[in-house]
Amino acid sequence: MTNIVEARALEKSYGNFKALDGVDLTIATGAISGLIGPNGAGKTTTLKSLIGLCDVEGELMVAGRDPRVARHKLMEDVCFIADVGILPKWLNVSQVIDYVDAVHPRFDRRKAEKFLSTTEIPKNKRIKHLSKGMVTQLHLALVMSIEVQLLVLDEPTLGLDIIYRKEFYDRLLNDFYDGNRTIIISTHQVEEIETLLSHLIFINKGKIVLDALMTDLENTYTEVLVAADKFQQADALNPIHIRELLGKKSYTFEAVARAQLEALGELHTPSVADLFVAKMKEDRHG
Amino acid sequence: MDKFAAIQFYALLKREILEHRNLFIGAPAVLALLILVASIWVASQLDQAEIVSTMEYLAVLFDGLSPFDMAPFFMIVSVPFIMTLYVCCLIYLVNTLFQERKDMSVLFWQSMPVSNFKTVLSKIVTVVVVAPIFYIAIIFALYLVGMIWLTVLGLTNDVDLVGIGWMFLAAVASLFLIYLSAVIASLWLFPTVGWLLLFSAFARKTPLLWAGGVFILLGFLESFIFGSEYLANWAQSRSTNLNQYLIFDFSNVVDKLFNYDMLFGIVLGSILVTGAVYMRRFTDW
Repeated sequence: MTNIVEARALEKSYGNFKALDGVDLTIATGAISGLIGPNGAGKTTTLKSLIGLCDVEGELMVAGRDPRVARHKLMEDVCFIADVGILPKWLNVSQVIDYVDAVHPRFDRRKAEKFLSTTEIPKNKRIKHLSKGMVTQLHLALVMSIEVQLLVLDEPTLGLDIIYRKEFYDRLLNDFYDGNRTIIISTHQVEEIETLLSHLIFINKGKIVLDALMTDLENTYTEVLVAADKFQQADALNPIHIRELLGKKSYTFEAVARAQLEALGELHTPSVADLFVAKMKEDRHG
Repeated sequence: MDKFAAIQFYALLKREILEHRNLFIGAPAVLALLILVASIWVASQLDQAEIVSTMEYLAVLFDGLSPFDMAPFFMIVSVPFIMTLYVCCLIYLVNTLFQERKDMSVLFWQSMPVSNFKTVLSKIVTVVVVAPIFYIAIIFALYLVGMIWLTVLGLTNDVDLVGIGWMFLAAVASLFLIYLSAVIASLWLFPTVGWLLLFSAFARKTPLLWAGGVFILLGFLESFIFGSEYLANWAQSRSTNLNQYLIFDFSNVVDKLFNYDMLFGIVLGSILVTGAVYMRRFTDW
């Protein structure tokens, strides 16, 4: 399988603040990758660097091009939706479609109009008069009507209610993803995308703290609910995270054989949200 | 340029006009309306005999003369439009690359396969070529309303309409001179165009203050270090020498377009525009 993103030792500083501190990233073609991290972790900087909107140091190739020198050529193969409503507020819906139709060689106008006909978005209304949910729907309609290899989504459903969020991801999976296209999503709402992902990346303080295929998580991470009499045994196996649960403790282990843990209690694979908390706290405590 | 590139560039120009319709359509339309209202008010103050004698005088003045010879007469009418155009272009140039960063729409524009060079070029073409067309169209509409008004007055007062016809032709001919003046002025002031675009792309706040402030600072430094005022004198002579870009007849267009001073300005402006293109590449600073 080829890689659509290859990044080595990406560095980016804003004054004394290191937004990216030696980020290595490889994303395979066809993956749905989740880039998860707390606020200020470097998610947006990473995504913006992938599409040439951020001047980073290091080696970087996206869809066979260096985004820093060939952004406009790269954008024929890559689409981007940001966490903020970035569609120009003074345009109306028809004018946005006209613009994309005129400037993007791979835009299918009929597809966009068909998609929009299933929504309640009026074509003659200006963007500034649409709700945030409608603006996201419109942007998604535009993006899904472009034949691209890579879709980059930076907190695409931030501020949307649960109905719009569900619909967004349903459409993304059913109407955009075909197994060959690659999607990179950064989000806070981990639970909502957990089932979509094939590749998980955690980022904190500008460093990648976890980079794993979802299928490998089960083999690497184990969660055990341990009774009070076995706390000492569990502590000895170097858990990466412990949390208290109704008199018991839930231990998360990394790269500890399941056979060693079976005696401690019932074994689970941690959810992405629990793993995220575990890795962030581990990172914080060193 | 292939067909797709032409369609793409047209879309970029359309974007500029739509985004800045207040500057390129609204402002001259309001000005035309004000002139029309003022003219109606002046006419309402005149009595019948004065109107007839004025019209007869104008009819005699223009009758049988070449419209191009009389065209400069109408350039006086266009002065408020030319001044408005320059002010609107200044506001546009200093804000255009700043505003798209401020409202975050730059992320959308940059997510399309359009180079920064093409985007900035579309802004220059908007100022040099497209904006004057809208101004000319509105001045033409004003002349047309004026001619209809005069024709009605002429018919009701038995005045010779042939002279009014010649007058209208002279007014239309003046539009070509105004357009050429506007184009040549933008090229003559190309260093200013580049300077404003550069600070529009650079400034995080108040780009006009940056553009003006840095220029004053450079002038001050020159005066402090070298004891000379070359920069200030050069800028003053370039901006106040109206003769360099006001065209009163077609014979000297070539001289005004092709000379070393013009060439120097275009080269300097192009260097500054290159800086603006470079600054627009990244949105993260």
